[in-house]
Amino acid sequence: MASTGITKREELAFRRGVVNGKQLTAHEREQMLQPFLPPAPIEAAPLKSPKSPRLSQRTTAAPRPKPTPVRTVLHIVLHAVIAFVFSIFFRFRRSWRLFSYKVRGVLRHHHHTPEWIVNDVKNVEQLPKHISVVLEHRDDDEDQGTAGLEGLVQDACEIAAWTASAGIPLLSIYERTGVLKNYVPQLHAAIEKNLESYFGTRRRPTLTVKAPHTISYSPPGTPSTEPTENGATTSRPHLTVLLLSEHDGRATLVDLTVTLASMAQKSDIDPKQIDIPLINAELSDYVSSEPDLLVLFGPTVRLMGYPPWQLRLTEIFHLPDNKGVNYLVFRKALGMFGKAEFRVGK
Amino acid sequence: MASIHKHGISRWIAYSPPVAWTVRQLRELLIGALRQGPIPQHVAFVMDGNRRFAREHHIETVEGHNMGFEALARILEVCYKAGVKVVTIYAFSIENFKRSKHEVDALMELAKLKLVQLAEHGALLDRYGASIRILGNRELVKPDVIEAIDRAVSITAHNKRAILNVCFPYTSRDEITTAIKSTVEQYSTPLDSLQTPSKRTFSESHITQQIRKQMLEEDTDGNSAPQESRSTSPSSLKDAKSVEGGRSSSATTAINSSDKDESYTTAPSYPDPETITAETLDEHMLTAGAPPLDLLIRTSGVERLSDFMLWQCHENTSIVFLKCLWPEFDLWQFLPVLVEWQWQKKKSQEQQKSRALSKAE
Repeated sequence: MASTGITKREELAFRRGVVNGKQLTAHEREQMLQPFLPPAPIEAAPLKSPKSPRLSQRTTAAPRPKPTPVRTVLHIVLHAVIAFVFSIFFRFRRSWRLFSYKVRGVLRHHHHTPEWIVNDVKNVEQLPKHISVVLEHRDDDEDQGTAGLEGLVQDACEIAAWTASAGIPLLSIYERTGVLKNYVPQLHAAIEKNLESYFGTRRRPTLTVKAPHTISYSPPGTPSTEPTENGATTSRPHLTVLLLSEHDGRATLVDLTVTLASMAQKSDIDPKQIDIPLINAELSDYVSSEPDLLVLFGPTVRLMGYPPWQLRLTEIFHLPDNKGVNYLVFRKALGMFGKAEFRVGK
Repeated sequence: MASIHKHGISRWIAYSPPVAWTVRQLRELLIGALRQGPIPQHVAFVMDGNRRFAREHHIETVEGHNMGFEALARILEVCYKAGVKVVTIYAFSIENFKRSKHEVDALMELAKLKLVQLAEHGALLDRYGASIRILGNRELVKPDVIEAIDRAVSITAHNKRAILNVCFPYTSRDEITTAIKSTVEQYSTPLDSLQTPSKRTFSESHITQQIRKQMLEEDTDGNSAPQESRSTSPSSLKDAKSVEGGRSSSATTAINSSDKDESYTTAPSYPDPETITAETLDEHMLTAGAPPLDLLIRTSGVERLSDFMLWQCHENTSIVFLKCLWPEFDLWQFLPVLVEWQWQKKKSQEQQKSRALSKAE
């Protein structure tokens, strides 16, 4: 193949271990490999031990060109050129993508109407039962109008409304610092208000906001079934919003280990009893179950401390170079999830 | 490798020695140029797409895996020449045992063959200074493969410059569970009785007794005092932790802890579980000692982790999903990824600098 710089004979030798119909011996293989090898490491020279006779071959091998000053200068120049060309390319690509996302976002806006969102996910073959999003707490708003806690709450409200409209029952919101967990009642009120603006008072889905290790918050005024005028109870859809933070990741696994260790010290548990189902049961009961779909609104895939255990088979979606929470990402994520195949191990 | 469908003249040109030589020089040059920038210290690959490649090119599945191995060899060369310290590859998942017996056997054979070949060339591996480590659940592998693994590992063990982690049969949940299990085992082995006095000058039970005495003397309202005593006795601290984990109600643990305290004096002493941190677990992971994972690449357009490196990659790793299939993966696909990584690295460094500056002001 042209791009690898290997000749036909060498490729065959590599693939089949055969040259001219003859099986290669270990020695012949090494001979063939000589021109491809990097120079012998300098520090390895005094390591020569009588135990491995092959080491003597290395010293007799043809000397490889050492990195001369000319070569180094060439490398530096080439690196500068590559870095320059690519940085222009990346910048252009980012601007173009951001532009196209903006256009598409305007063309396929949800108009704060659940019906539009339902229409968008109508053709999707499968919907996730548990969707998870990663939000970022930003100090400056970078012209997005979404800075600080207020921005977070605003983003959470919008995403909750989209999730409810698409008919997904469970949304978990990951935010590294966990600041949202301190404002559960306020967040509940804000999301409820936003749901009302989407669905209207009558059809608004019921809502529970909770965080791991706390009692779930659903205020008394919102029973899941509410009698309507004609006496029948409407079964309104229910949305659960779960707030996660960095603490629910590694720190929780450490907590679990600490608990298990102290139990083992008291002989309440045998270390042999610790297995995947046990840990999985503990973590999905007290933290979160495995989300089906994880939506990142950042420009690249970085998990920023998202609980590791739960990510096993989660489909991870991001739009390259995207900035900030918008409906396009959400819609595309559901579209991709609909097409994804799940073949565990197969 | 597109060469399967390449015909006649272009194929002949590509394989002609001068062209091959030029391309090789070009590759060396590019790798040398890459070295001038920051290089990720730890790269992980999910080698996905061998079977789809085989299907698309109408070759045997096993042959697809063979091609995948070639791609791996090429990429490893690029990585080590560029200065990557640790490469981790997802060779075989525990879930892969669900595949057809024929394929599993063929994969095992391939692994064994390559490891045996590798062991024959110990000296050549010294050139790269690479040592091999197999991460995974050994109980699931046949003894003959284990033998080949152990040989290859021991032959390269003295190399320190670079590490190749082969995850074989591996899943991340299995790794995390094993790490937790071994941590628990470590913390539930009694310490030598000789060591304890040097470690702790104060006796826990004595302190608890003192506090109880104080509690009795002080005639305060019964609410705040017991809480004080609870926070001082270490075993109840653990219980407090478990309450946080929502495992038991606080009322019962408070009683339990006082019961346990009595037996604590006679029971063998253990290391304090409160000293377990994320670092402790890190040391029990299979990748212990390796630098943090900088870059994780998955080919064939599947955008999930599939139980790979969960513990390692959820912090600051750049995860890249590529559309190309693994056997097609080469320097030409890897180069843009690396350059973009370098670019992002530079950008984030600049951002950090400007943030630090603005904070200083």
